[in-house]
Amino acid sequence: MARLPNVRLDLSNRPENVLLVREALAGVAETVGLDGGDLSDIRTAATEACNNVVLHAYSGDPGALEIEIELAGASTSVTVRDHGVGISRDGVSPEEQSGEGGGIGLPVIEALTRSVEFAEPAGGGTEVRMVFATPGARELPAATAQVLELPVLAEVDGATAMTVSVAPTELAKAVIPRLLCVLAARANFSTDRISDSQLLADALVAHAAGSLSGTHLSMAVNVEPRDLELRVGPLIAGRAQGLLVDSDVQGLGRVLEKLADSHGVSSAGSHDTLTLQLLDRR
Amino acid sequence: MIASVVPALPKPRAVTRTDDDSGELFARWQEHGDRTAREALVQRYMPLARSLARRYDRSSEPYEDLTQVASLGLLKALDRFDPSRGPSFASFAIPTILGEMRRYFRDSGWSLHVPRGDKERALKVRDAQEAFANEHGHAPTVHQLAQYLEIATEAVIDGLLAIQAYESLSLDAPRPGGEDDSITYGDAVGQEDERFELIELDATVVAVLDRLSAREREILRMRFVEELTQTQIAARVGVSQMQVSRLLRRSLDQLRALTQDAGEAP
Repeated sequence: MARLPNVRLDLSNRPENVLLVREALAGVAETVGLDGGDLSDIRTAATEACNNVVLHAYSGDPGALEIEIELAGASTSVTVRDHGVGISRDGVSPEEQSGEGGGIGLPVIEALTRSVEFAEPAGGGTEVRMVFATPGARELPAATAQVLELPVLAEVDGATAMTVSVAPTELAKAVIPRLLCVLAARANFSTDRISDSQLLADALVAHAAGSLSGTHLSMAVNVEPRDLELRVGPLIAGRAQGLLVDSDVQGLGRVLEKLADSHGVSSAGSHDTLTLQLLDRR
Repeated sequence: MIASVVPALPKPRAVTRTDDDSGELFARWQEHGDRTAREALVQRYMPLARSLARRYDRSSEPYEDLTQVASLGLLKALDRFDPSRGPSFASFAIPTILGEMRRYFRDSGWSLHVPRGDKERALKVRDAQEAFANEHGHAPTVHQLAQYLEIATEAVIDGLLAIQAYESLSLDAPRPGGEDDSITYGDAVGQEDERFELIELDATVVAVLDRLSAREREILRMRFVEELTQTQIAARVGVSQMQVSRLLRRSLDQLRALTQDAGEAP
């Protein structure tokens, strides 16, 4: 049994994606009861590490930004990984001593973490693993599984803004609606539809637990103007339709179908994917 | 796969800057109490303190306050730095300044409460949303709210997420800008209750829905049966869209919990 990260986020190195990481961490803090000081430290350090990837890892080209958050009660770790040229380890340059340059990121990370490790991941790049002491944090059931790989969605394409996997469900409950709020805002949704996307996330998380083919609730989200598409899976065969049915509140209808503009179920081998599309037609 | 572990940060290479005349300034201040030397050092390193204040994750805290705390950390670092031992002042000062900011926040107890700045901003986002919807007849986007409030879109998103957490926005909070401050959200929604007609529901469901208040049932019905937008519901019942959002989330949560309980009962 290998320990898996509780949250895995696959993003691109666009600057606006750092907010997704920050909101995921806010969801973590809410779930395990981190105090505001610990959350601020973790968010500040994670932001520095992400900004390093955004600004330096790919020399202006598009590239991957991978985040993993592991919760182990008294310690919380955040890993920020890229597959680019890597973070400069030159330290503090003269112009940065005055604080107006970029490179005070690493000293800031060092000051806020219990430990920080740098590694070169398979395929090149840089991995920064930051461990924070979080003595007040509640322990969640460990996310362990036989396989080390997190569920990977088959249909991730260029329009995919984010792929996320979260376990356990109570963490997903706090994290997924926040992430969808950020992406709905990016899709230029009105506040009405932003809230609807959160209601949809709530319903998904509430009903997904028995439908997952692994431990994690995973989804890929595509963002286009006024158009948000979620592909949720892999789900146990037959459970994509089951999720829609389960969201029924008698007298109100199937909440997932009511909130989405369209929905679809696809099967590949032994797995289902549930697609939900939200539009803002104002 | 940890290929290499770097236990500590690499040695900053920028010793030269500290070496030129900073060493002398430190000596004048630390050994002779020369305040003009300290003043020169403060001038030199104030940008570092400001940069850290900007970076630390208290975006809702007034920047001036953060800078003051960071400056205090800088002064402490100037007193304690030992030029003969440290590689550079910056690598010594960064943890000292961050430590000062963290201590300040912990001592002032903000970690236990929602920071005041967050709350004020969330309320501004709510009010701007209402004002925009009243003027234009539909809900604004985050971008429009950001322009209206002259704040960053990220700050608007923070506000949207935070507003759901505030108990002060409960149904019993006075309606801001209402003609009569004694009218609460609860009253306004309550007036709608007489128009509320239960749709065809079987006995179990009625039992579950009955556990919600009349106003919660009515708001759910408007959203999912009449399929009104949240802004339209807000206008009908006289609450903010954010309040509608919050009520919908909460009552759907409750319904799911109740349905689950009913399903698990023997």
